This record gives sequence, structure tokens and C-alpha cells, in this order.
Amino acid sequence: MAVVEAHDLKRTYRTHTGTIRRRVKEIEAVRGVSFEIAKGELFGLLGPNGAGKTTTIKMLITLLIPTAGEARVLGYDVVKDAREVRKRIGYVFGGERGVYERLSGYDNLRYFAELYGVPAREQKGRIEELLQLVGLRGREHERAEGYSRGMKQRLHIARGLLHDPPVMFLDEPTIGLDPVGARELRATISALADAGKTILLTTHYMFEADSLCDRIAVINRGQIVAEGTPAHLKSRVATGSVVEVEVYGVAEETVTRLKALNGVRAVSIEEREQAQVLTVQTDTGAQLTHAILGHLDGANVGRVSQREPTLEDAYVALVTEE
Amino acid sequence: MRVVRLLAVGWLYHMKMISRSPFEGFGQVIWPLFFATVAFFVFRAGDSPRGLLYASLGAAVMGMWSATSTTAGGAMQRERWHGTLELLVATPPHFALVLLPVTLAMATVGIYSLGATLLYGHFLFGIELSVEHPLLFAGSIVGTVLSFGALGFAFAVTFVRFRAAWALGNLFEYPVWLIGGFLVPLLLLPDWVRPISWVLAPTWGMNAIREAAVGGSPLNDLAVCLGLGALYVLTGILITNRVLDAARRRAALSLS
Amino acid sequence: MNSVRIFFVGGQITYRALFHWLTPQIYIPSLVVAPIFQILLFAYIGRSAGLESDEFYVVGNALQYAAVPCLFAMTQMVGGERYQNTLSAILVSPARRIPLFVGRAIPVVLNGAFVAAFSLAAGTAILGVDIPLSAVPALALVILVAAFSCTGLGLINAALSLRIRENAMLSNVLFGFLLIFTGANVPLGELPGWMRTISDGLPFTHAIEAARKLADGASLGSVAGLVGTEVLIGLAYAGVGYALLRFMEVQSRRYASLERS
Repeated sequence: MAVVEAHDLKRTYRTHTGTIRRRVKEIEAVRGVSFEIAKGELFGLLGPNGAGKTTTIKMLITLLIPTAGEARVLGYDVVKDAREVRKRIGYVFGGERGVYERLSGYDNLRYFAELYGVPAREQKGRIEELLQLVGLRGREHERAEGYSRGMKQRLHIARGLLHDPPVMFLDEPTIGLDPVGARELRATISALADAGKTILLTTHYMFEADSLCDRIAVINRGQIVAEGTPAHLKSRVATGSVVEVEVYGVAEETVTRLKALNGVRAVSIEEREQAQVLTVQTDTGAQLTHAILGHLDGANVGRVSQREPTLEDAYVALVTEE
Repeated sequence: MRVVRLLAVGWLYHMKMISRSPFEGFGQVIWPLFFATVAFFVFRAGDSPRGLLYASLGAAVMGMWSATSTTAGGAMQRERWHGTLELLVATPPHFALVLLPVTLAMATVGIYSLGATLLYGHFLFGIELSVEHPLLFAGSIVGTVLSFGALGFAFAVTFVRFRAAWALGNLFEYPVWLIGGFLVPLLLLPDWVRPISWVLAPTWGMNAIREAAVGGSPLNDLAVCLGLGALYVLTGILITNRVLDAARRRAALSLS
Repeated sequence: MNSVRIFFVGGQITYRALFHWLTPQIYIPSLVVAPIFQILLFAYIGRSAGLESDEFYVVGNALQYAAVPCLFAMTQMVGGERYQNTLSAILVSPARRIPLFVGRAIPVVLNGAFVAAFSLAAGTAILGVDIPLSAVPALALVILVAAFSCTGLGLINAALSLRIRENAMLSNVLFGFLLIFTGANVPLGELPGWMRTISDGLPFTHAIEAARKLADGASLGSVAGLVGTEVLIGLAYAGVGYALLRFMEVQSRRYASLERS
């Protein structure tokens, strides 16, 4: 039995605009998301900002009621059996908030330990263990307001683990962390998975999903556009190549024309400091460099290079597809 | 048993947090003292059988009520601002068991105000603080705090829907001072107001405290006070279920 | 979140964006409902203590409550701009200062006067207090003067609030002082001498006395002295407030402390 199941989850937000004539705007944040996570799996939900990752995860952790569809965690329905679900999951989100600043890290954990029903005599031991695990030993009696962002993040993780839940939901846990802190956090997450926990991780860093996850679902604009192991996703673009051209100003219509070229899979532009980098993914064998440069005639062109595709390219292709 | 422990631990940690912003607490205590000062002057100058001890006790409970009414209404909103509301809702216990300790802690701060007002009256206006039944007096204060916390809880879950939740409680400061009979005997109020006074726990808490001080019997008043408090909690629980359900539908648990 | 009271809500009123900002949700509780309750509270306390008449408390509190819009609105006007980092933009402009501040103060004064007038009308209606109709124009003038006077104090409060973080508390303390010292509720004769000295220098004291006399049927001429004193007090406070703001302007240019970083 899958530990986490999502069946055609949908979530629409209604916002009101204006005060005199109130108009209702409907935003479909999640438009039919389905997936399953098996026991012990580290599952990644990968997508750009606004793709619907956070909305999806909040539906699974019972904080949001889906507009349609259903979801179960450990067999319990997230809407009807919310309490049962809450007892068995840990929720960690990235960011500076969600911590009681005037309390010490230790007190924060004591408070939540009580809320999660950790038996009184076990609380002290568990907390010590967790502080050691997340590397907050020695700083636990300082007020949380003095913690760095990374420390707060680690406190979040400790909090999520207090009741030793079999399933963990991590919502962009490394966001805003410095590289070292992020790396350490990823190592901790990996260790949790190794210890047998089932984990759903949302992120917009593809290399993070690549390095950590057993399986990834790429989500864009509220829908899952691809699902599979990192290797599988890479294989989608393993055939083919990528042409990168440094340009100084390229017109919108040029991009459109390039997309229409035979053999072109995806075109994307990245802004660098002085110039833009035009990235064109092509089918194998399609020698399109000439054609591409032809279309760029008139624009200032810098370096041109051709290379193997990476997971990043696969991701970009998936999320820029119309 | 677990319920009691849960409430106690929650209360303890929120008390800890509240007591770590002394400046706020200072403001809570100072504010009612202005009104107490006016009350002392007025009762000293006036010619009524109700003396300064009456005024002192009334002003002290006014301070107690202030501490709750001006803060409890915004309790849920404040948790949302801290980013902790989601986390609290995501815990297994019923949300009422999580929020009630918060408002109880806020009401407990009222004890500082009570003490400050009584001491202020004693040292600056020479009001004799004679309490006939000290134990019952203390018990009445505790009972009043509990009922204030319960009412604050009802406020918190009712006001959360409003953007100005943190200010709505202020709306109930003056009216409860007036209708609770803190400085004005209920007999002086219009007849139609009295039933409203009777369903307000503060009215009975005030009576209990007064009775204990002057040597009467506060137990009946205390019982009604606590009974009303329990009613507020029950009402709050019902509202909580609806509020949380709506919040989960409207995605209003977090700021983002 | 510091301990905020209904008066901080009054402080949310930024007059530049008055109609955009000022929702009924904020205005009605703090500037319509609360003053009426304050009047009722003290009128009944007066009855309970056997001191003075309903009219005494209605007039006293209706005027005193104007402190809420006048003190808090001024603070928000100045502090609000600071939060929006536009204060420095205004202060570096070559615009002449006095018209600038006067322009911003006028809506505050008018709003304060309106609040006082409304609560006076409501209070007299609810408690059945008799005020001769002939006194109304004179009362309107006195109310306007009282609002002006308190706005002067509001300017000082606003200047200080640029420096002090807990400015909501300062405003509350000022409100409290005005409650006690101005004779709004405690007859001046009951205050010890040293307190009466302070009363004489505060806004509202003279206006309240004048208003009470007018309500009792006195002519405007007979209270002219009180009204004049109130005007002078208002000007004095306004002057000090203005000087303080200019001083801070200069200081901030030296120490770059004007903007909230």
C-alpha cells in the first residue's frame, strides 16, 4: 500500500478584488495532481515558484482542503481523518518564521513535544537526541530570536521529528540557506530517508531533487508534467544536444521562429549580466547550429557552444513547455 | 490528565513569552492606573456610601479585564503573523486545547495589574486594604482569571475573521467596565442592561472578589463565574471547529 | 506586537490617504462607539460616587476624547510618512515648512472636532442632558479650539515619536494625563495644588471649563478669556512641536536617522 496517495487533487483559490464592486477571481493553483509514494521513498516535487508545490503539500498535511480530488496518508483521508494524519506526520517548512522567538530552541521543542503527545518522561531524551542530530547542541538554551536562518531551519527539522513520524513533508527546506548550511541539511534529509522514513520534499532546485530523491515529479502550473527517477528524466533529454549561444539582445519573434524549427525541442533564454544566453535543445543528429545562427542574423552574437544535456535542461524544457 | 497537562504546559510557555516583554506588560499596568486615579479622586470627593475600598477593588478588576480584552482578541492573528498558527493547527490535539492556554496566559497578566492598582491606591491614596477572607479572595481572583481567559478564548476564535482582530477586543474594554458593575452598582444601570450584566462572567468575578474582601460569601458568585467561563469555552470550541474548517477552505492559516 | 489599544487604531488614520484607508471597521469602533462608552462610563461612575451631574461628565469626556484622533493622527501623519520613507523627500523639498505642516494639521483638527461634537450630541441625547440650543454655535467654536489645542500637543507627540519606538505607549500616557488633569472627570478643585498647576498648562482644561459654562447658559463673551487662553496654549504647543520637528530634521541630516532602516 502506498504511504502517500494523491488522486486528482485540485485546489482553486478565490480572491476578491475591489471594494465597491467586488469581483471574484478564481486561480487554479493545482489542477489535478496525482502520485503515490511508497514506504521509505524520498519523493521530490520539483517545480518553479508558483507551480503549486506548496499548495499540494498543504493539502496533504491537512492544512488546506482540496477543491476536488482526494488524498490519503497511511491510509487515512486527509480531510475526514485529519487528526489521525496529523499524529503520524512531521511538517517542516523553510524560512525564518514558525519559531517562537522569545523562547529558547529547547523550550520551543518542549512545547511542541507536549503538543505532539510525546510521553513526558521521554521528552528530555528525545530532545537531546534531536538537538545532536540537527547540530544545535550547545545553542539550545539561547532565545530563538538570536538564531541564524540556518539554525532556525534546523530547529524546524528537530520539531518535525519530535514524535518520530513515519512520514515527513519538507516544503523547500533549504531555501535561503547558505551553500554550506544547505549541504548539511541535505545530508540530514538523506540520513532520515536512509533510516526508513517516507519523505515528500518540495524544491525548485533541480540539483537538489537530483541528488536527494528516489523519484521526482515535475510540477508546473498546477499539473505534473513528468514523473520518474532522476535517471529516467535525464534520459528524456539524453538523446539530443544543447546549443548555447551568447547574444546581446534577441527579439521575441526570433525565439518563436527558433521554436518552430524542425528538430528543436525547446528554447529558453537566461539573463546574464551583460548579455543573454540562448539555449536551444535539439534532437540527436540535428545539426542546427547554422540554422540557429542564421535566425540570429543582425543580433550581436558572442560565444557559441554545443554540449550534452543535463537534468537542468530536462527540467527547463518541461517547465517552459506551453 | 493529558488534557490538564497540555493546558498547563501551554500556559507555562506562553506566560514565559509574555513575561519576556516587560515593556508591554508595563503598558498594561500603567493604562488602568489612569482610570483608577480618576476613580479614587471621584469617590473621595463624592458623597456616596461606597467608599474607597469599593473603588479600589473595582479599579483593580478593571485592570484585570483590560489585560485580557486588549490582547486576547488578536491571539490567533498574532500566531499567524509569527508563522506558528499553521504549526499549531497541524498538531493532533483539538485546537481549543492549544489556544485556550494562550488566552489564559494573557488573562493571568491581569494579576499584575490587580496588584499594582491595589498597591497604588494604598500608597498614594491611603486606601486600607483589608481583606476579610484572604483565601477566598485569592480563590476568587483565580476564578476570575480563568473566566477571563475563557472569554478571551471566545474572542480570539470569533475575531480571527476580521482584519482588525487585534483591535476588536478594545471595543469591549469600556462596556465591560461599565456593565460589569466594577465601579457602578448594577442597580444604577437601566433595567434592560442587567440581564446582559448577568451573562458576563466579569460581573460575577467582581462580586466574588468584593464579597471575599468585605467578609461576605463569594462562593455562589464564583460558581456562576466559573460556570459562565465553561460556557464560553464550549461556545469557543464550537466556533473553533467552524473557523478552522473555513480557514482550511479559504487558505487563511498562513500569511502567504 | 506591543500592547496596542484602540487608540493605536486611531493612529492608523493617515490623512493623506484618508478615504482610501479609513475603513468603517476602524473608524466606527474607535471614534464613534468608544467615546460614547467613555461618556457613559464616567457619567455612571459619577452617579455611583455621588459627584457632579451627568452634564459634567458628558461635556468633559466628549472634549477629552478628541485627544484620540488629535494625538494619534498627528503621529501617524508624521510617523506614517517615515515608514513610507517619504518624510525625507518632503523635508528636502524647498516647500515652506509652516504651510506644509498647517496643511497637514487641518484635517486632524477637523476630525477631532467632529468626533468631540458627535459624542457630545450623542451623550446628551442618551443621558437626557439639557443643553440650550442657543449654546450650540458657541460650543462648536470651543470644540474647534479644543481640537486645535490638542493637535498642537499632537505635533510634539509626533515629533517625539520619530525618536521613540514605543510611540503608541507615549500617546496612551498622554491620553491618560489628559483624562486626569483637565477636569474632564475630576473637578479641578479636588486636585492638589501642584496638579492644578499642570492642568493650567494642558490642552482642554480651559476649553472644558468654557464648554461647561456655555452648556449652563453662559454667553460666549463670558468665556472669551478661557477660549483665548486655550488658543494660546494650542499655539504654544504647536510652536514647540514645529521647532522639535525642524530640530530633528537637522539632526537627521547629520546622523541619517530619520528613515526607519
